[in-house]
Amino acid sequence: MKRIIFTNPAAQKIYDDYIKRVTRCIRLLSADDQRDTLMEINSHIYEATNAAPPENEIEILLGTLEKLGAPEEVLQPLVAYKKAQQATRTFNPVHILQAMRLNIANGAAYVILAFFYLLSVSFCILIILKIVYPSHTGLFMQNDKFVAFGFTTELRGGLTELLGQLFIPVVILLMGALYFLNTLLFRLLKKE
Amino acid sequence: MYYICCMNSEFVQNWFSQVKKGTLSYIILIILDEKEYYGYELVQEIKIHTTLEVAEGTLYPLLNRLKAEGIVDSKWVEQESGIPRKYYTLSKSGKATLTEMQKIWSALETAINKLQK
Repeated sequence: MKRIIFTNPAAQKIYDDYIKRVTRCIRLLSADDQRDTLMEINSHIYEATNAAPPENEIEILLGTLEKLGAPEEVLQPLVAYKKAQQATRTFNPVHILQAMRLNIANGAAYVILAFFYLLSVSFCILIILKIVYPSHTGLFMQNDKFVAFGFTTELRGGLTELLGQLFIPVVILLMGALYFLNTLLFRLLKKE
Repeated sequence: MYYICCMNSEFVQNWFSQVKKGTLSYIILIILDEKEYYGYELVQEIKIHTTLEVAEGTLYPLLNRLKAEGIVDSKWVEQESGIPRKYYTLSKSGKATLTEMQKIWSALETAINKLQK
């Protein structure tokens, strides 16, 4: 992106600072989206301040930036939307988590999605616990009644673990199903 | 009978914000139906034709969304200054969308006019 050159050094600093803030706000986006967004903002500033007499440069630039708004606020919907697009395009869990964090203010559905993703992560922890503490992790029943699915420190008498070696494959299956369902739900939300 | 004729300005302002938000994409499509515009030029055009005070920064997320929906197309055009402009045009699907929106707007206008009589 070509930097705009101002005659007035103070105007130059204001412009450079604003561009730095924009760059910071869009750093989560893909390289192409970052370049495109930055070029568009830069083009807007250039068109609005072009041919401003040096004595009015600061005034015109400040007016332009004020109308554009604080990058942290005005670019939030754009970053959230583009991140959601990237997440649904790539199915990458990192992008999905970032997109959820950015979109969480857009509705309770995203909060639920975030909860389900946390559940997936806790399932992952359960696998590790099953390897380290096999007798304390599993599907526990007592007198034909469900007691717990997960990890327990206390192994009371009469408590039996049902899944045994099948626990890890079952948890992997559950994680896969949850991840797949969440990503599909995420796509549906994005379409709305 | 005694009436307190005090307008609830906060309610009106909130309502107007919603109307603005809902109509901005329609206004953009109408303007782009004439010819292609770049972002800054589009902002000026909205200001000329409407009394809407549009926060300029909010226009770009909206244009991006319209592009992602396939309603508008965009292309970068190099300029002598070395700072290119991104021109927006209405896509084929955008033209069809606009026609549908115009029908809805007309029906709404007729209904409100009837109610106001």
